[in-house]
Amino acid sequence: MKPERSKGRLPREGHKMGRNLRLENLTKQFGILTAVDHVNLEVEEGEFLCFLGPSGCGKTTVLRMITGFETVTGGRILFDGRVINDLLPQKREFGIVFQSYALFPNMTVEENIAFGLKVRKLPKKAIEDRVDQMLDLTGLRDWRKLYPPQLSGGQQQRVALVRALAPNPQVLLLDEPLSALDAKIRVRLRAEVKRLQQELKKTMIYVTHDQEEALSIADRVVVMERGKFRQVGKPIDIYKFPNSSFVADFVGTSNFFKGEWNEDWVNIGKRQFKVWQKEGSSARTEVLLAVRPEKIEVFKSGELPKGLEPSNLLPGRIDVVTFLGAAVRLVINVEGEEVISDVIEKEFDQKQLRQGEEVLLYFPPEAFTVYPTQKGSS
Amino acid sequence: MNQTETAPSPPVSSAFESDRLLTWFVMGFLLVLLVFFMLYPVYDICKLSFFRQGIFTFKNYITYFTHPRMFRSFTNSLYVSIVTTGITTVLAFFFAYGLTRTTIRGKEIFYTISTFPLIAPSIIQGLALILLFGRNGLITRYLLHTDWNIYGATGIIVAECLYCFPNALFILYTTLSAVDTRLDEAAQSLGASALKTFYKVTLPSAKYGIASAAALVFNLTITDFGVPVVIGGNYNVLATEIYQQVIGMQRFDLGATISVILLIPSVGAFLLNYYLTKKSYALISGQARPFLQPSRPFKRWAFTLYCWIPSAFILIVFASVFAGSFVKTWPYDFSLTLKHYDFPSLGGYGPIWTQFWASLLKGEWQSIIAYKYAPIWNSFWVSILVAMGGASLTLLTGYIIEKKKPRGNQILYILSVLPAAIPGTVLGLGYILAFNKPYFFIYGTFWIIIINITIANFTLGVLSSIANLKQIDQSIEEAAVSLGAGVVTTFQRVVFPLVKTAFISNMTFFFMRAMTTVSAVIFLVSAKVKLAAIEIIFLDIDGRTASANAMCTILILIVVAMLVTMRLITGKSGLKGMSVST
Repeated sequence: MKPERSKGRLPREGHKMGRNLRLENLTKQFGILTAVDHVNLEVEEGEFLCFLGPSGCGKTTVLRMITGFETVTGGRILFDGRVINDLLPQKREFGIVFQSYALFPNMTVEENIAFGLKVRKLPKKAIEDRVDQMLDLTGLRDWRKLYPPQLSGGQQQRVALVRALAPNPQVLLLDEPLSALDAKIRVRLRAEVKRLQQELKKTMIYVTHDQEEALSIADRVVVMERGKFRQVGKPIDIYKFPNSSFVADFVGTSNFFKGEWNEDWVNIGKRQFKVWQKEGSSARTEVLLAVRPEKIEVFKSGELPKGLEPSNLLPGRIDVVTFLGAAVRLVINVEGEEVISDVIEKEFDQKQLRQGEEVLLYFPPEAFTVYPTQKGSS
Repeated sequence: MNQTETAPSPPVSSAFESDRLLTWFVMGFLLVLLVFFMLYPVYDICKLSFFRQGIFTFKNYITYFTHPRMFRSFTNSLYVSIVTTGITTVLAFFFAYGLTRTTIRGKEIFYTISTFPLIAPSIIQGLALILLFGRNGLITRYLLHTDWNIYGATGIIVAECLYCFPNALFILYTTLSAVDTRLDEAAQSLGASALKTFYKVTLPSAKYGIASAAALVFNLTITDFGVPVVIGGNYNVLATEIYQQVIGMQRFDLGATISVILLIPSVGAFLLNYYLTKKSYALISGQARPFLQPSRPFKRWAFTLYCWIPSAFILIVFASVFAGSFVKTWPYDFSLTLKHYDFPSLGGYGPIWTQFWASLLKGEWQSIIAYKYAPIWNSFWVSILVAMGGASLTLLTGYIIEKKKPRGNQILYILSVLPAAIPGTVLGLGYILAFNKPYFFIYGTFWIIIINITIANFTLGVLSSIANLKQIDQSIEEAAVSLGAGVVTTFQRVVFPLVKTAFISNMTFFFMRAMTTVSAVIFLVSAKVKLAAIEIIFLDIDGRTASANAMCTILILIVVAMLVTMRLITGKSGLKGMSVST
């Protein structure tokens, strides 16, 4: 279990393929509270993985165990086939980017970037070159002599990013790195992080509670809830095929209906929806139907196209209109229940949908996802 | 939790342990230091006071309480402490009010003057009062031709008021500037009169600060030794009675008994102050303070006049001691002279600096610089070592408590806060009892004095270190570690640079305390090992009052020089927040 750190030399870029990070039954117990509950995962080299979940779900604890700042109470963390549970954080060769930037206020930008290289006792020339390279990577050259408090939040986080990358870490861990920034800068930096990741092909593990961020940036997303991994998959799969009502609710917006499954039909109160599901059970069971807002079609009476399943049409009244930019979100009152529907802006204009208007909602049979009802789901 | 399969739980990680080993080692060292040099001496005092020939007994206490002369020191101490507490708290409160709640001019000047008593030993107040109101006082003898003099309770009270003034002021100033003035404005906008606002809003919101200042003044007064020894005359208080019993009568058992008696009110006042400070900080809001409304002319004049009274007193104290050291025969012959600066040969040999000067200089200069000024050199070097050692140890302690938080760090915290509760005289006597044994080779050397002063002032050093370390974000250290830096490198390159200014100001504090402290070290000096602050007392007792003034003046000048140096280094005033308060 000797750390493979060699003094005066950086590990070469892409030196060996297949340095995977593995979590085996990883568990963290704080007293009687189980913050992380027997989770398993394999992160491949060069992958961009995102931990997504509400606050308190354990995502930061997983990250801190990987970094070594939190001790492991059960299970194992393996890197490149070696158990690293007992390895000191400073020996793990993992870079970290913090939410609070955590730049050293007593050092200039370049001194901050050089810190990890000086600690490794690299030759002076090598340090200078690496610092220049890092500065160029994010266009920070002009700020090299400034101190962190003289920079904006976005600039500071860029410095923190390249500071963590400078010693060429095996894995870069980012703990809600953009949460302290303004919405605009957040989006811009997000793109920059993605670009850096693709350029450097660095394994990155990114923690966030912002689903939009997670879906837009990651190769793979891990949705966490109460210490468990609820779903692991590509962003598009997570969004389109959430495997539980929690994921359907947490990632994106969903409309939920409680009902009873009956062949191709679901009984909801007095009403019946036609639902096409690939694998259906024939038994009559309690289920939860979920449907994404953009899947619901909105028509004015009299403009109905032909060929719709008549049982899936519901009348309603537009209560609230929220302009989201490219889309318009409508909150529609259907027999006292609120249904959320997103229509694209062009359609909203053409159909002249206004607040207070009576409309017909159409729920296409293939738009539903069916979940068995379980305790704790909404 | 619902899974029954037991994941192979890793054994306690060895690498983490080795990293923590350093923390444990340092904490162990600090704990041993505090237990050995603080608890053990106090334990020895308690043991001596309760045991006679190995048998538990209250005999010593019965002796104390049945001897009217000795017992009087108890009531005397309570009397002067209570009166001083009342007067100082009220005086300092309105002074602080003037500085924070009115728009008088010269606030900076008033504030600066009020801090003067901190740079001198408490004895200076006594010396000045003797010069002005003593048997040969400028005012009593020369101007009023009266036989009345200030020796006794009156002198102690006046001197202690001056000595404690800045300490009370710091607390009240912080309290009053932190309490939201908008409350006052709101009350007035609702139609309350100015007086009513003061009673119903200002006073209640500052109550914890006021009580905490009072507790501190009480503690300082009841434990002070310098003032009563020079101006008390026959009026004995607990601190001087301990000295009297031990040094005068060789009654260590009675000295120990009185020490335990003194510990009770002193620890009580300390705990009260500690508790109230916490409460008072809870009231302080982070709200931005709004603009202070210009005060009415009458209020401005009244407070300006008021603030000048204590300020003038303090200035007069320093001016008289300064002047008293340069005139031939106070108050009869005011012609100038330097002869009082030619101290009687105070002895002093052995220390390397004495040898250094002796080898470097010849004749008259050799005898003055090397021998007659030996106590001053001693004080200076002792203070330098205390400054370095004290600031480093307290920073280390603060770092362990605030950042490393190993198991048992609360014990370390309690032990490092405790020294402020132990009166200097008690700790000094404890050192005699505990360490006056042949195998403690440090006894009778400068080292024991250095240790004693460092321990006695540990509290404020640790508290200010903790406060400064609190401001460093935890992720900054984690960032350094994740970049590959170990514990030591992280501390050196990241943590220390961030607390450097605070460290230097801690050094100044320790230096100042070491130069001016009297009560603890009075038991530890000897014919070989002398300190300037103690020599002031002995010169005064010998009737060489003018030389005492001269010694005091030199001491003040050294402290001022140090403060100026520190200010040049850090660019900050060295005195703010440097009261002995917790």
